[in-house]
Amino acid sequence: MRIFIVIPAHNEVKRIGLVLADAVKTKLPVVVVDDGSTDKTYEAAKSFKVTLLKHRINLGKGAALKTGCQAAFAMGAQAVVFLDSDGQHKMEDLPKFVRALNSGKYEVVFGSRNLNLGVPIERYMGNKLASILVNLLFKIYVSDLICGYRGLTKKAFKKLNWESTGYGVETEMVVRCGKLGLTHCEVPVATVYYDKFKGVSILDALGILLDVFRWRITK
Amino acid sequence: MILGLQLTAIIFALMMIYFALIHYKKGQLNGMEILSWITIWLVAMFIVAFPEILRTYAKAFFVTRVFDLMVIGGFILVITLVSAAYIRSKRTEKKLEELVRKLALRDTKKKK
Repeated sequence: MRIFIVIPAHNEVKRIGLVLADAVKTKLPVVVVDDGSTDKTYEAAKSFKVTLLKHRINLGKGAALKTGCQAAFAMGAQAVVFLDSDGQHKMEDLPKFVRALNSGKYEVVFGSRNLNLGVPIERYMGNKLASILVNLLFKIYVSDLICGYRGLTKKAFKKLNWESTGYGVETEMVVRCGKLGLTHCEVPVATVYYDKFKGVSILDALGILLDVFRWRITK
Repeated sequence: MILGLQLTAIIFALMMIYFALIHYKKGQLNGMEILSWITIWLVAMFIVAFPEILRTYAKAFFVTRVFDLMVIGGFILVITLVSAAYIRSKRTEKKLEELVRKLALRDTKKKK
């Protein structure tokens, strides 16, 4: 299966270089979407042999992932693996996604972070409660709802067709996966937290929580 | 007391007409829109100045006081405008997202 790596990036000039240096070593084609960064993220990514796309304004992670997927599938990808651009995902875990996608058994592969591997306790608790809530509402249990490390096939991308433009995208993928009955699995991944103030904030989490109830009613 | 309230409401309506005219001069409102806003605020000023003209309508809707009818009417108007603004902003957001994504994909194609 032809698998591409898709990396959404927003103001990650400090870390994108290291992430891309690791990503190109995997020999998989890499698509980077600079989501309207105001720093030199785009310039930093330019020096690597990757397909680089730029959103002229910041749309959010969900929109950047969508653009990255559209580009990857247009270039002949049969599946994609999403990686965060802040270096919190380890390239050593990538083969787990590749193996699961290549097995042909799964349309979606979710990465799941382990508490022992450095997830702050408050995030772990919030994540667990959200997983239980989504399980109750949508009959799908994914232990790490908001982990950005995940893979999906072209078919799954077309079916999922998420509408979230921001951080709600990961949860929406799980919700839609449950509703559509897509085949899925989880693989354990390591995570390193570099920046306490980046990523999903409490306000984002509350917004996602409201969305979960909205999706229950509307989808 | 009532006169004070009426004066405040009339001054507010006049200010809103002034703001609407500024937006019209800046080209942010077209002729039809400025006319609608001026009419709305003039009607509002007239009702505030002569609230008794609503007495018949208040009775018809089983509302005891004219003031309550005006508050209810105001709420209905505000909710309608907020809903319309929400739908419009969602639509614009969606169009903008599509455009930005399309440009990003087009730029990549051009480079190749």
